[in-house]
Amino acid sequence: MKDSYPLMAFLYRGALVIYPQRLRAQYRDQMLQTLHDAFRDRPASAVRFWLNAYGDLLQSSLMERIHMVRDSFLHSPLAFHTLALAAILTVIGGAAAFTISQMLRSGANQPQIDMVNYYVGEIASGEEPANVIPPGYVDLERSLQPVVIFYDDHGKAGSGTGYLDQELPTPPAGVFDFVRANGTEKVTWQPRPGVRLASVVQRVNGKHPGFVLAARSLRLVEEQKTTLWRMALGVWLITMLLLIGGASLLHRAQLNKPAAA
Amino acid sequence: MLPLSAAVFSILLALAGSEKHGYAIMKEASLPEGGGVSMGPGTLYGSLDRMMRNGLVEETGFTDNERRRYYRLTRFGQEVFSAEAARLGRMMSAVRRKASLEGVRS
Repeated sequence: MKDSYPLMAFLYRGALVIYPQRLRAQYRDQMLQTLHDAFRDRPASAVRFWLNAYGDLLQSSLMERIHMVRDSFLHSPLAFHTLALAAILTVIGGAAAFTISQMLRSGANQPQIDMVNYYVGEIASGEEPANVIPPGYVDLERSLQPVVIFYDDHGKAGSGTGYLDQELPTPPAGVFDFVRANGTEKVTWQPRPGVRLASVVQRVNGKHPGFVLAARSLRLVEEQKTTLWRMALGVWLITMLLLIGGASLLHRAQLNKPAAA
Repeated sequence: MLPLSAAVFSILLALAGSEKHGYAIMKEASLPEGGGVSMGPGTLYGSLDRMMRNGLVEETGFTDNERRRYYRLTRFGQEVFSAEAARLGRMMSAVRRKASLEGVRS
């Protein structure tokens, strides 16, 4: 293989066509000289030497082209505008999805607000809570129906329609403390893992002081919110892909312009 | 800029001693004490080009052969080299400390 150098170097010189043009113009002579020096001083066999040399040329050509595209793209006004547009679309889309999600959650407090207003009014006027709260049994774990529960001034469940394991559940004491101080509270209550309720609690004063809680399962709303965010993510991904694809096409068109001229 | 790639650090290390031409850099980088980084002309001159654009190295202007140019570190290149060497030094201290702890455990 000792005489292989002229032929292989000639082929290497030709293969330099895959190396980026700017680097080739600037470093071709030095690369060939380095190759010559390295061949003369090679510790390995000529076959291995040329395999390494061509492998390096192939790999570095690819890497340098990636570097060049990345550098030229990131420093171009097109990249700036693409990123700015992507950021604006992300913020607008995210804000829209967040607003819709919040509206869905707020909507889940109806009809509980009307229910507590009605029952609080009735009990405050002197009616017995047990007479006001309608009879009924709703399994909070399964049903989507709204429920109402009356708690006495100590936070003990009196009468109601919503049950978990055949008992009226009781919210944390902190909720009653807050309502005692502020009059009303709208809260997401999780009496057990997997059961989340949109709850409205209101203070009752008068002959039968206590609290009225109206609640209903958030299952449907949370499924709607999950669907909403999945759709938003899908639309965002498609938009970003279209944006990046469009920007890449424009970038390539810009790169080809001087060559065509 | 830190951490540097193995190729870039090996080139800086090779040029830290003295100015060198391409093949001398390549040869020194391939030695165990030079980082043991095996690179061909494509990788070498691509890296040198980027390093020159980043102000880490420069051509000396000296040549003993039209096709053999010499490169040296810039002041900034020396600073980056020192910073990376210090970073690697701290990392190696931690490695030695942990290795000795492992030795004690076993």
